[in-house]
Amino acid sequence: MELWVGALNLGFLYAFMTMGVFITFRIHDFPDITVDGSFTSGAAATAVLIAAGFNPPAALLAGMLIGMAAGAVTAWIHARLDINGLLAGILVMTGLYSVNLHVMGRSNIPLLNQATLFTWMQKINPGMHAEIWISCVLCVILAVFWLGMSLFFRTDLGLSMRATGNNPVMAAANGVNVNRMKIFGIALANGFVGLSGGLVAQYQGFADIGMGIGSVVIGLASVIIGESILRKPSIHVKVIGVIIGSVVFRWMIAFALYVGMNPIDLKLLTAGFVLATLVISGAVGKPESAKMTWAERFKAAISHNRMMIAVGGIVILAISIPGIRALLTHRPDAGKIHRIGIVQIVDHSMLNVTRDAFLEEMNRIGYQSGKNCLFQVENANGDMSSVNTILDKFLADRMDVIVPISTGCTQAAMHKIKDQPIVFATVANPFIIDAGRSDTDHLPNVTGVYGSVPMDKVLEMVRQVRKGKIRIGSIWDAGQVNSVYNVEQLKQVVQQDADVVFVGATVTGSSEVFQAAQSLAQQQIDMFVLAPDNIVYSALDSVIKVSESKKIPMVITDVERLSDGALCALGYDYATSGIQAAHLVDRILKGESPGSIPFEKYSRLTIGVNLRAARQMGIAIPSELLDRTTVIIAEDGKVVQKKELIHKAVQAKRLALFQFGDNELMNQAAHGVLDELKVQGVMETYPLRIDRKNAQNEFYMAQSIAQEIVSQNYDYIVTLSTPALQVTAQVNKLIPHIFGAVTDPYRMGIAKTQQDHIPNITGVATFQPVEKTIQVMREIFPRARRIGIVWNPAEACSEACTYKARDEVGKQGFELVEVNVSSTSEVMDAVRSLLTRGVDLFLTSGDNTVNMAFNSVAALLRERRIPYFSNSFSDVERGGFIAVGADYEEVGRETARMAARVISGEDVGRIPINNYLPEKMYVNRMLAKEYGMELPEAFLNRAAKIR
Amino acid sequence: MIEISGLHKTFNANTVNEVHALKGISVAIAPGDFITLIGTNGSGKSTLLNAVAGSFLPDQGKIIIDTEDVTAKKDFQRAKFMSRVFQNPFMGTATQMTIAENLHIAYLRDQESLPRIRLDKARCEAYREAVKALEMQMEDRLDNIIGSLSGGQRQALTLLMAVLRRPKVLLLDEHTAALDPKSANQVIRLTQNFVEQGNLTTLMVTHSMQQALQVGNRTIMMNKGEIIDDISLKEKQRLTASDLLDKFADLRKSERLTDEMLEELRREYI
Repeated sequence: MELWVGALNLGFLYAFMTMGVFITFRIHDFPDITVDGSFTSGAAATAVLIAAGFNPPAALLAGMLIGMAAGAVTAWIHARLDINGLLAGILVMTGLYSVNLHVMGRSNIPLLNQATLFTWMQKINPGMHAEIWISCVLCVILAVFWLGMSLFFRTDLGLSMRATGNNPVMAAANGVNVNRMKIFGIALANGFVGLSGGLVAQYQGFADIGMGIGSVVIGLASVIIGESILRKPSIHVKVIGVIIGSVVFRWMIAFALYVGMNPIDLKLLTAGFVLATLVISGAVGKPESAKMTWAERFKAAISHNRMMIAVGGIVILAISIPGIRALLTHRPDAGKIHRIGIVQIVDHSMLNVTRDAFLEEMNRIGYQSGKNCLFQVENANGDMSSVNTILDKFLADRMDVIVPISTGCTQAAMHKIKDQPIVFATVANPFIIDAGRSDTDHLPNVTGVYGSVPMDKVLEMVRQVRKGKIRIGSIWDAGQVNSVYNVEQLKQVVQQDADVVFVGATVTGSSEVFQAAQSLAQQQIDMFVLAPDNIVYSALDSVIKVSESKKIPMVITDVERLSDGALCALGYDYATSGIQAAHLVDRILKGESPGSIPFEKYSRLTIGVNLRAARQMGIAIPSELLDRTTVIIAEDGKVVQKKELIHKAVQAKRLALFQFGDNELMNQAAHGVLDELKVQGVMETYPLRIDRKNAQNEFYMAQSIAQEIVSQNYDYIVTLSTPALQVTAQVNKLIPHIFGAVTDPYRMGIAKTQQDHIPNITGVATFQPVEKTIQVMREIFPRARRIGIVWNPAEACSEACTYKARDEVGKQGFELVEVNVSSTSEVMDAVRSLLTRGVDLFLTSGDNTVNMAFNSVAALLRERRIPYFSNSFSDVERGGFIAVGADYEEVGRETARMAARVISGEDVGRIPINNYLPEKMYVNRMLAKEYGMELPEAFLNRAAKIR
Repeated sequence: MIEISGLHKTFNANTVNEVHALKGISVAIAPGDFITLIGTNGSGKSTLLNAVAGSFLPDQGKIIIDTEDVTAKKDFQRAKFMSRVFQNPFMGTATQMTIAENLHIAYLRDQESLPRIRLDKARCEAYREAVKALEMQMEDRLDNIIGSLSGGQRQALTLLMAVLRRPKVLLLDEHTAALDPKSANQVIRLTQNFVEQGNLTTLMVTHSMQQALQVGNRTIMMNKGEIIDDISLKEKQRLTASDLLDKFADLRKSERLTDEMLEELRREYI
């Protein structure tokens, strides 16, 4: 829900930009690329003014004006200087990059703690969900906008403008000043684009120099989508088509994310979609098609463009197959209601736990009772025949999946139901009831979760409490196969221990259990050891009575029943069983065949000790057993979860690992996170599912991903890189969020100090040890004077590092010689220009643009014998001279360590931000030798690694 | 009404493609004159029309319209009091806008386009009446876009647009040449009606000798950027199309017209 509403809001905000693109492309027939720049300009001006304390509407107006100015310049260049329109747009867009950087003063302006239009909106929120309230307000604003624009296009000015775009010769012949009209129109269009940028900046909580890239294409795609949905030529319809197109485009992205489509394919899909729409609507423009019906138009389009349709079709098909497949096998769609029947044999804590965990997990993964799913939960109350009646009812009600909990129910279900999927849970051994021969070779309509309590472990526990010769007594219902199986297992392990004697008593119903217990007591047993048996456990109180009165300690296999009076318990946490079963049901509902899903074993053991019972019976619990326990019943009867997270742990948690783009350092960091989470053991201790998200360096994609993460209720978020942090921080106010690979979270408004940060966000701030590097430079090169640096002012991190370097060079008596670049392709020229100006040393710090050309830069510097210093540890491997800094994998690990603390239950609000200042040094001694240098031994000793 | 003196224009000056299109044209046109302009391809007749319209600025010479020197004025400035119809029926209208909207653009010819809505019901009614007079069955299609009209309909509409606000000068650039004979006749008839009703000063470029003689009160013949003959109404009434051709044949004798040009005239004009 939130995903769609969020996408709707984005669509509304981008509708202004789409209107700008509509005016340029459709009204003026002018391919205006300025949009890519003016979008950022609007965002920049708005953000700067808001940060400076102006009120949001005024700031927004400024954003619109700067957009208009940009548009006017493009149109003026085109009209007055007679430069091709496309070229004029490219020129202005390129120039705006510098202008925007000047306006912003840095590459990124956070608005997280500023009053924006959206915080104003929330102040007057009558109590709705924040996003929905925003939708409502935007809906009204856009309705006004729609009306206003439609009316404008019908005014004399609007008509003249449309005529100018449609036929400039005709317009001029009718006295319209075409150039002036063009300038006005393009300015107006870019004004809307700037307005849109200002709104988006406020909505996402920051302005970034790169946020406008790709806007033209998005705008164009939206316009075309709108036109293909609403085909009437009336201007009212066209204007609303713009708004609808913008929203539909966002929904497409949200949908692609929702079905788990690879974001890499999304752009190709967009391109394919736009192409297809263009091809099909191509026939519409032809006069003869005016009276055609839809079908005829389509036919005409196909006959005219057979080749293009074929190619486009193949491309789209190829891209959408994974999407369609994902869709078919993904979550329940809203239209279909899934019916799931759950039957348990008896009200038994272990079965109840399974059932409740199952229902809870189903709900968590998106099956909401009454909405897209109907759960029918039945209990046979210990009566086998009732089980059959229930199963009949399930069949009559056309259940999609039947979930029998316990062995008996499963057996009955398998017997009765041959062609409906069955997912069993909490079954000791499905093979003895002929559900299959192995985990993979089983009945075609049956799968499930099973596991029998390891009787050897139970006996081991018994032997820890009571050493020497003992007699153990067990009660079971001989009519239940699983009970018999469990007891057989127990007998087998007992046989291997010569000091243990097994005494058994069978029952046929729960009423006989008390008698059986008494008979065992008379047979001088030292301990009750009760294997899993539904009947016996449903009458456990009877056994406890005997146990307490005769002071015979009782060992059970269900930790939930420990507090009833047993001494200790070893068993599975049956919640796991329910959770695992829920996921199997999910897979079946998504289209998998039960026959192809292997049986799953649950393997989470819990061990519990009841200290009150121990004291009453005068039994000392050995410390090695206590060490292993997860649940302790204290002497006052209180249940102490020894590891607080036991309960949490049984539920599979989901963690979203969100990185902004694919670059070497981010990938290293991501790798570090994944690996360290394994090392920390959280993957095993807590079933943790990690989903990786990657925005492919696109801001609009990043927003949708952040919204998706929130709407899917992930349990934890780990973000890598600054933009990922910013986008997510704006959307997510609750989910614990740990960030990494961020240079300065304080400047982003995430935190004021290490301790004082947004309650649900903490993480690792990785400062580059720039000062230290420059000190090292001075230490090794006492006579060097000039340090060359090439950096990209659009990168926040690089900017911060360069500022630090500027401060430090003065202290060390160096001079910093700087050259700016805006793309990797310019790096080598920049380095060469520095070399002609004469530098003694070279530095790169936190700059991704230069980093991508590191190998080439290093090779060139090596040739010129100029030592190359940097702040990424791994740079030495790529030809650097000395690197002081973090290995990004290590940064990832540090982030993961913090995540592990959060996953283990620590409160995010209380975990201070880790100012990780890595000062590991990596020295390229090989290169030093080549330069004819001998590095002092004392210095080399300080290096973490030497090449 | 129009005073043209010593008009020169050279295109692509100082290149191999240099064309001296107008070589000192001087002509005076009285108010209410309906002049037909004839000549071979490249004779400069359309260039002269465009010079009057302001599509380009002349290298030398002056254009005075109604005592006002417009030589340095841009086309859209002259359009305030001058209108034109192009040869290409696609040129004169905004094809993606409706008939009513196009007429309204023409209505705004001599006014500022301000952000106010004046295309209201009353105006639409006025446009409907005007369109009805064209007898082209367009009066019920005022809200249809031009893209759905035939060439003849478009040209008739462009003509209507040109005279909607009475212009001081009407320029017609072979405006029937791209039409089928029936539509061409219709449009010529409309042209004559409009000019007559409005007593409009009109310059019409044509390819048809027949048309040149039948229409208007004065015919100007051009060749190689010069006016070679100026035929008055009286003389026109005497002449036939072949007489006109003979005039071109005389040119040949004086080496001013090549055989191919004469052949072309014969082919096209008769």
